[in-house]
Amino acid sequence: MYLNLSHLQAALLFALFTSIVLGVIGRNTDRERMQYGLYVFGYFMLAVVGLGWLMYFGHG
Amino acid sequence: MKQTKSSIPPVGQWAAPVVLGWLLPGGGHFYLRKWNRGALLLGAIAGMFVFGLLMRGRMFEPISGDLFTTVVNWGGYIGDVATGALYFLASWLGYEQPQLASAVADYGTKFLVCAGLLNILAVIDAYEIAVGEKP
Repeated sequence: MYLNLSHLQAALLFALFTSIVLGVIGRNTDRERMQYGLYVFGYFMLAVVGLGWLMYFGHG
Repeated sequence: MKQTKSSIPPVGQWAAPVVLGWLLPGGGHFYLRKWNRGALLLGAIAGMFVFGLLMRGRMFEPISGDLFTTVVNWGGYIGDVATGALYFLASWLGYEQPQLASAVADYGTKFLVCAGLLNILAVIDAYEIAVGEKP
């Protein structure tokens, strides 16, 4: 079995797993953990889309 | 002038959660009866590792050479080994990938190493819980 993911799919998966771990270990209450995990995931997505557009325009 | 002396908590207090956390992602949290956190860590770290395998990521070997080669290979090797039983199981079952000229396989290699780095963070969290620095 071989997964042939696109860059976006791989980045989404990476952001999902990483934000879960950072959310769990980064705060002290369940509510804060959930908020922090979503916050980190949102910033990952913002960085992926933002840098994607930056590279698109950078290529001219 | 008063000197503050940093004291390391007794090894018996944190050794078991740290070792278990390394061997099985989330294992330290399970040992400390933090079931939900342990399950989330296990799911996320093992998930990242399995996706790394499915993307045919490469496991690093401790190869020395020039500075760049040494840092990359030893760093990657430490990241891979930090996934504990997942790494040893995959190696024992014969998982081996040559370096492929494929972007997806390269992402897979990063997934495998990052799973280990996330597990190191989880082990540190288990340590802090065990010594009472975190709830």
